[in-house]
Amino acid sequence: MKQSPWLNILFLFVLIPATLFLGRSIPGRWYYLTSTLVIVEIMVPFFVSFERRRPEARELVIVGVMAALAAASRVAFAVMPYLKVITGIIMITGIAFGPQAGFLTGAIAAFASNFFFGQGPWTPWQMFAYGFAGFWAGLVFHGHPSWRKPWVLGLFGFFSILLLVGPMLDSCTVFTVLPKLSLANVLLIYGQGVPVNTIHGLGCGLTLLVLTKPLLQKLSRIQRKYGILEDRQ
Amino acid sequence: MYQDPFSRCHPAVNFCFFLAVIGFGVVVQHPAYAAASLTCGCVYYLLLRGRQGLSFLFGLTGIMLAITLLNPLLNTSGRHILFRLLGRPYTLEALCYGGILAVIFALTFVWFGCYSQVLTSDKFTALFGNLIPAISLLLVMVLRQIPAFTRKAKQISLARGAIGKGTGENQPFRQRLQSGVGILSALTDWALEGSIVTADSMRCRGYGCARRTNFSLYRMTGRDVLLLACIGGLSLVVMLAGGMEASYTPNLYISYISYGFAAYCLLLLIPPVMYLRERILWNRFKFET
Amino acid sequence: MEQIQIRNLSFSYPDSGCDCLKDVSLSIQKGEFVLLCGASGCGKTTLLRHLKSVLTPRGTRSGTVLYCGMPLDQVPPAGQAQAIGFVMQNPDDQIVTDKVWHELAFGLENLGVPRDVIGARVAEMASFFGIQSWYHRETSQLSGGQKQLLNLASIMAMQPEILILDEPTGQLDPIAAGDFLNTLKKINRELGTTVLITEHRVEEIFPAVDRVLVMEAGRLIVDDSPRDAGRILMEKGHPIRDMLPAPMRIFCESAGEGQVPLTVREGRSWLDAFFAGNRPSVTALPPRPFPKGGEAVKLTDVWFRYDRQSPDVLKGLTLSVPQGCLYAVVGSNGGGKSTALRTVCGICRPYRGKVEVLGKELKSYARGRLFEHCLTMLPQDPRNLFVKQSVAGELAEMNGDAEKQKKVAALCEVEHLMDANPYDLSGGEQQRVALAKVLLTDPKVLLLDEPTKGLDCCFKKRFASTLKELTRKRITVIMVSHDIEFCAEYADLAAMFFDGSVIASGTPGRFFGDNSFYTTAANRMSRSFFVNAVTARDVVELLRENRGGQR
Repeated sequence: MKQSPWLNILFLFVLIPATLFLGRSIPGRWYYLTSTLVIVEIMVPFFVSFERRRPEARELVIVGVMAALAAASRVAFAVMPYLKVITGIIMITGIAFGPQAGFLTGAIAAFASNFFFGQGPWTPWQMFAYGFAGFWAGLVFHGHPSWRKPWVLGLFGFFSILLLVGPMLDSCTVFTVLPKLSLANVLLIYGQGVPVNTIHGLGCGLTLLVLTKPLLQKLSRIQRKYGILEDRQ
Repeated sequence: MYQDPFSRCHPAVNFCFFLAVIGFGVVVQHPAYAAASLTCGCVYYLLLRGRQGLSFLFGLTGIMLAITLLNPLLNTSGRHILFRLLGRPYTLEALCYGGILAVIFALTFVWFGCYSQVLTSDKFTALFGNLIPAISLLLVMVLRQIPAFTRKAKQISLARGAIGKGTGENQPFRQRLQSGVGILSALTDWALEGSIVTADSMRCRGYGCARRTNFSLYRMTGRDVLLLACIGGLSLVVMLAGGMEASYTPNLYISYISYGFAAYCLLLLIPPVMYLRERILWNRFKFET
Repeated sequence: MEQIQIRNLSFSYPDSGCDCLKDVSLSIQKGEFVLLCGASGCGKTTLLRHLKSVLTPRGTRSGTVLYCGMPLDQVPPAGQAQAIGFVMQNPDDQIVTDKVWHELAFGLENLGVPRDVIGARVAEMASFFGIQSWYHRETSQLSGGQKQLLNLASIMAMQPEILILDEPTGQLDPIAAGDFLNTLKKINRELGTTVLITEHRVEEIFPAVDRVLVMEAGRLIVDDSPRDAGRILMEKGHPIRDMLPAPMRIFCESAGEGQVPLTVREGRSWLDAFFAGNRPSVTALPPRPFPKGGEAVKLTDVWFRYDRQSPDVLKGLTLSVPQGCLYAVVGSNGGGKSTALRTVCGICRPYRGKVEVLGKELKSYARGRLFEHCLTMLPQDPRNLFVKQSVAGELAEMNGDAEKQKKVAALCEVEHLMDANPYDLSGGEQQRVALAKVLLTDPKVLLLDEPTKGLDCCFKKRFASTLKELTRKRITVIMVSHDIEFCAEYADLAAMFFDGSVIASGTPGRFFGDNSFYTTAANRMSRSFFVNAVTARDVVELLRENRGGQR
């Protein structure tokens, strides 16, 4: 189903600038609320377009399973708690099913797991960062099976976390903790995040390196199986 | 399980209350407002969590102290220089600002802590189920699966342990990675296979046949409407009354509080007051019988 | 009125050459209670799935399915969703939402029923099924039996005209299964809902059904009343006759006269008439020998709890298992049977007591050495062991030796499945692949946790013969099970587990002969005449000897 792009345009070019403009007038740390609002507004079009499509049971179930798997994956690597596989699994979902499904899986995985660990100001940022990871991986690899060499994926995962997803997660700290938005302060926070993001990136890269092929196999098998069990006109 | 009276209100009441309280909390830098918010937040948090909540609050004080003391290191503007550290001034104004930032930081955490206790997943879906039916259904499915998958992953790891494929802390990295991959791939197969059944079960029960209604156990009562009106009205008063301006660096300036502060306190006290009212009521019942 | 009518239905899956359903015709009246049975893979599930459009598999098909006289594919989807309820085997995966009340409302939400109506219907169903006490619980915290009951209730909330159930009790323990089937009988009797069910465990349901259908290799071979269907199966010597109620089997095999008994009560009165007031001349079979041999596993006064503050799970458990025997531990749920197994394989460490395996204390085994050529465990869910894309890969993961793989594969009868994905196999085949996998560690002691769960009688028989083969090779097998009939038939020793320890044990003949309630149907039926007859075969044997003596 084709969707009219006016909603995305409304959000991107009207609502977000308006929020920024109005948010500027809040005295003191104007960026605290404003940045969170903007993040939420960026995510809304994704959710709306998913709703509009009236997703089928199978679509819903697959995204749900992948999100829950990502959230529960830490148990499988209980002996290696420093290895974060959650972003890797989200990226693989994006690679298998495209950017939109990837975004949704990431966002839902973050949101749902926060029901167990506690919601906080970080929730929208996590949703956005994890969602972006899925979206980004889907954007790059979804249509290009030939690009999916293990080492390419590994490097992709590592640098995506280090340069994009990690800083997005750190942005939450920037906007919610910093007393003043100055270049030095901001760089300080991002700089502090580098070691954590490196470990996170290594985990994600390793996950993509090792798990992409088997997981994609499993996913395509299950899609075949769905095809056999379903009789769709 | 006991639920306090505010938690038993309609989710819309809960949501609007937290929206107002956290919204004001992070924006308003006036010390009186911030202190009031933090105090009420702590009181309500303790009412919700009981003695378990104490350790969380103690943990927060440590972080608050750190934020207060560290801020002057980042921010050197201000008139009253307390001392110099490696040539950089450590000012009173920055210290005060650090204090207020710490209070704001703490109050967000405390109120979000309350939010997590009060606005449970079923309340969230009750609230947004009509607006985003597919996503709230997706959320509900994921919330069911996370505990199930976690349990299954543990089972798989035990099962593999009992055929000599387990892992321990002292094994080489490669082996541990392999074992993790093994568990995850067994879990994935199991989960995907189960997803076929789940999809069948959904379609069996008519998913996609019609526009979904959103059933929930909560219904809006007159009292909920009254509470919503209170929250809205008080918020409006707080915004219009003003008197919550404050700036710290380079010059310390704190405006005088107005009647808006009273309205703010009333807003913050809604849950504890409801709690207290119920307590008194029950005590009287006990006394009368 | 004919609610469902199937005319000459044939069907085959896209990539398989043979027909899965061959010319099936049948009709079901409104309000009937119909049982469909047949060995695994005979096409039962495929047939049931043809009764609901959204579940109908893709493939080539001929023939018609009518619902209330209308071709099924012309019944609108919402109408089908409401009128035709379908319950599947796995209790877990059918649940969609995270709260019990939400699950009950799920179907009605989908149909767009107004909120007030949903509220009333959900309340009704929760009361009918006795769900109020766990109405607010999380679905992930329910027991298997509760989950399956919830699945049934959430379908009944839509007020269906007909209920179709595909092996609904396969994954449940006997008590939960009994509850479930009783609820089903109640629904049929009190609400008049038509029920079509497939089941392996027919003992309880056989007396209640109106009609029995039997399928074999895609064909409908029997369509008769339970008594006649049973008699026909027995006369044919059909492989699934073993799942028939014990009284029926005993009656037919000893060529009884009169009406075929369906229940233990009817079986007893038939035996009363058979002996006509005389005492039987032979009352006992020669007892099975007590297995000899050194102790393979020995637990002495073992105490265990999961947490310092939690209650004891094992309370002074003492048991000893002779080498090369099949040792069965029976008992109800939550008694700590599975924990006992975990203690033996070192996953749970007792805080008091001694666990010895092959004469050596468990603590003295070096890390990981216990599982090399010594001890291994088959988990309750065989799928917990599957990590590869093919059966061959699974076996190769355990042991690189191709010769050995071949031998074990032959023993477990999985050679023809080597290229298949483990998840495409039936429950019984999965069980055998998992068994092959654990046997590749070359164990001397094999632990089994509920190995017969969800298996039909043919698979059980093959499984039992594999186990016999193992014990003949002096491998000790310890199994924990709810399946009394299986244990009575095949175990060398049986033990009753209750409240954290073993309270009685012995050879099946003595052990089950001494119990009066927790015993097999054959024993309950014959206990006033015979002493140690625990299986249908024992009773038939004794009857034959008595008859020989009398005449």
